[in-house]
Amino acid sequence: MDDLTREFLIESQEGLDRMERCLTDLEEQPDGTALLAEIFRSVHTIKGTTGFLGFKRLERLAHAGENLLGLLRDGKLSASAPVITGLLQLLDGLRSILRTIEAENHEGEGEDAELICRLEQLQTPAQLAVMRPALVSTAVTSASALEMLPVSALSAPEECEPDAARSRAQANSAAESTLRVDVTLLNRMMNLVGELVLTRNQVLQATASDPALTLLSRRLDMVTADLRESVMKARMQPVSNIFSKMPRIVRDLSQTLHRRVRLQMEGQETELDKSLLEAIKDPLTHAVRNALDHGIEPPAVREAAGKAPEGTLRLRAAQQGSHVIVEVSDDGAGIAVDKIRAKAIECGLITAVRAAQLSERELLQLIFLPGFSTAAQITSVSGRGVGMDVVRTNVEKIGGKVEIDARVGKGTTLRLRIPLTLAIIPALIVRSVGQSFALPQGALSELVRIPPEQAASAIEWIEAAPLYRLRGKLLPLVFLDRLLVLATERERAAGRDHFIAVLDADGRRFGLVVDGLADPEEIVVKPLSAVLKDIGLYSGATVLGNGDLALILDPGAIAMRAGVAMSGEEDTARHTADDAATTAARAAEYLLVEAAGRQAAVPLAEVLRIEQLSVSRIEYIGYRPVLNFAGQLLPVEDTGGVLAAVQNNPEAQIVVVICRDGSRHVGIAVSHVLDVAAGGDLLDAGTSQRSSGVTLLRNRVTGVVDLSAVAQLPACESAAGEWSQLTETVR
Amino acid sequence: MSTQAAVLHRMEKSASALVEICSVRLEQALFGVPIHHILEIVGSARPQPVPLAPRFVGGLVHYRGDVLTTVSLRQLLGLPLLDALQDILILESPGGCFGLLVDSVGEVLTLPAADHEPNPSTLDEYRKDLFSGAYKLKGGLLVMLDPERLDPIRLGAARTS
Repeated sequence: MDDLTREFLIESQEGLDRMERCLTDLEEQPDGTALLAEIFRSVHTIKGTTGFLGFKRLERLAHAGENLLGLLRDGKLSASAPVITGLLQLLDGLRSILRTIEAENHEGEGEDAELICRLEQLQTPAQLAVMRPALVSTAVTSASALEMLPVSALSAPEECEPDAARSRAQANSAAESTLRVDVTLLNRMMNLVGELVLTRNQVLQATASDPALTLLSRRLDMVTADLRESVMKARMQPVSNIFSKMPRIVRDLSQTLHRRVRLQMEGQETELDKSLLEAIKDPLTHAVRNALDHGIEPPAVREAAGKAPEGTLRLRAAQQGSHVIVEVSDDGAGIAVDKIRAKAIECGLITAVRAAQLSERELLQLIFLPGFSTAAQITSVSGRGVGMDVVRTNVEKIGGKVEIDARVGKGTTLRLRIPLTLAIIPALIVRSVGQSFALPQGALSELVRIPPEQAASAIEWIEAAPLYRLRGKLLPLVFLDRLLVLATERERAAGRDHFIAVLDADGRRFGLVVDGLADPEEIVVKPLSAVLKDIGLYSGATVLGNGDLALILDPGAIAMRAGVAMSGEEDTARHTADDAATTAARAAEYLLVEAAGRQAAVPLAEVLRIEQLSVSRIEYIGYRPVLNFAGQLLPVEDTGGVLAAVQNNPEAQIVVVICRDGSRHVGIAVSHVLDVAAGGDLLDAGTSQRSSGVTLLRNRVTGVVDLSAVAQLPACESAAGEWSQLTETVR
Repeated sequence: MSTQAAVLHRMEKSASALVEICSVRLEQALFGVPIHHILEIVGSARPQPVPLAPRFVGGLVHYRGDVLTTVSLRQLLGLPLLDALQDILILESPGGCFGLLVDSVGEVLTLPAADHEPNPSTLDEYRKDLFSGAYKLKGGLLVMLDPERLDPIRLGAARTS
């Protein structure tokens, strides 16, 4: 294929993508002249170039389309649903020919006469007049030749309605100021920037003692950081790149399935690494299909249930820390848990006994098992039993997570959590056998330190299997050094701390024992040569900030190697149950903290991190202490008076417990973290009601910190007093 | 692209009467690597060991943004490990770049191609596979190493088969 043809193909694809977006918008505002002009331009460009390149079939088809579009643009015809359907068919026709050209370098032998004929028919308004009455009642009579649908069946994304024209104008000018860059070149740039960062680190170390060079090296430092950020940005693309495909999919599906659906999209400007965006395209499409097929009910059913006949499908993307959340939610039938239970038993995924023990939430997770589908019959849309497990597998492959929430009669929400980028991952650096290893944070759930004097008693053995009692439950342990150097001696050198990294890898929970912990670091993943990949324990290597190399451990592979295996679907189901049980147990567990001499409890399930930092990191907005943590501004609660106590000593270290409260994060300043303990219920005297706000910890009544009471930023009213009230320890 | 062209250019030159060879030392023995395979020489390095790796792997080195696997010539020839800084030749091979860990890198010799002789038939099969003949120097023999045969991927495959 020559360069000219290749260029033509790329340009035409882009033109058609634009056309598709405009067409679905056009449905919402049939008089959008700017939209029509844009569509006309795309088709016209294709026609012009094809004539030049000699693609006759493509030219004929584009020509027929152009005639129709010409009438629309000149206002002689209005963009009714059949016209738009016709234009979408034209779009598909053009696309398929382009694909043939790309694959075989010629147009292929297809027959377009029928489509061309239809496009010509649409040009005569008389034809339309006949069809128009059908428009009103199509919800039932979908058998019409053109498969029409009420215009309201599909709404353009809400947020772009008011300023669609303006954003389009911006898009046009953006096209002129952008250029195409090969992804391999971007990857190479990323690599080189990584190299530059390391060189910078070394320069900074070498020049630290020379005041003349300090200024220069600081400048180098800044430029490098900027450059790194810019290159990372260059790889980012807005999720609108895949969201924009959805209106069309929803439109087509709602016709096939006779649904009336309103599509809302939010957060389209959220950006994600290009490769990740590619990776979630299929899962997302699948989720949308599912929502239409299994979620949103036919209009009649909806009305009978007292809902609006038109269902709503919401696509939402938002960045949350180092993750991007993509949500697909519908207001459909939700998921009938009974059906799932019956189906799972029928498919032999779990036993009836087991199923009876599972809670609703646990049962919901079953739909992620391979071979699960509740669709009563197989349609062209879904129901083949390769559904949610594919979504989960694809998302987990890129280090993401899938969650599902459903309420019968209210709707279903599928939530994908995607890391911002693949090339750089947060990791904890651990030490073992005298060298550093990187442990991906994603699999890490907590860290336990065992002082040397307790090592002998804290680690228990069943024959050769070491175990640790983590809050009353036995956790299998894996000694990293034994795994790596095949040492057999049971006794380890005394006088050393043990650290247990509690890992949760692909559903296998175990503790990895290491000799030491270093700082968490954002690491750049470098691939290993095939010889070392074959070892199976390492997923890559990385260069640390100090220039040392570290191997990246693969928690899943370690679990497997050590025999912490869970195989078979029954086990998976059990695990899901265990998981949920753990979550439930955790809800009753508390982090016991001490602030200015008093003890208080923080619900462990809400604790994200415990950070030790110097008090100078705390800044103030007015009188409100805040913490700039990983780019996010957290309100810091200090009614315990921890900050006030060390105010005059900027070097002092304090501990901030970072918690989740609904969708926001808050910090709580404390002097020490004492322990993790299970709380006991307390009954209020007289009423015998479970008392809220206090719990029984270590046989002492302890106040529970009410996270929702932490004032919003910017603070309007003082939350003073609450802390002291809550932290009151009643003996 | 340009490095490939340069390599080709040098290969053409080596086809003529004179050959440029980088000499490396391992204990008392002298080995040689054709210079056009060498991308760079990294002096006094200590590669990061990889637990559980095959014996011939000398560890990892950081080279221009990539992490390369090194092959330890000592381990390959069954010599005891050396606890000292070693030199690394960064070599180019079809499977990607890798490092060759040697005691020290010596001078570059320009030798007449006529001085080369193939492996003697008495050499054991294992070494026949690693060596590609020798050059007769005044003071002794310079055993030629073939970088393509030292590629860790190939060595790994040979080990398992």
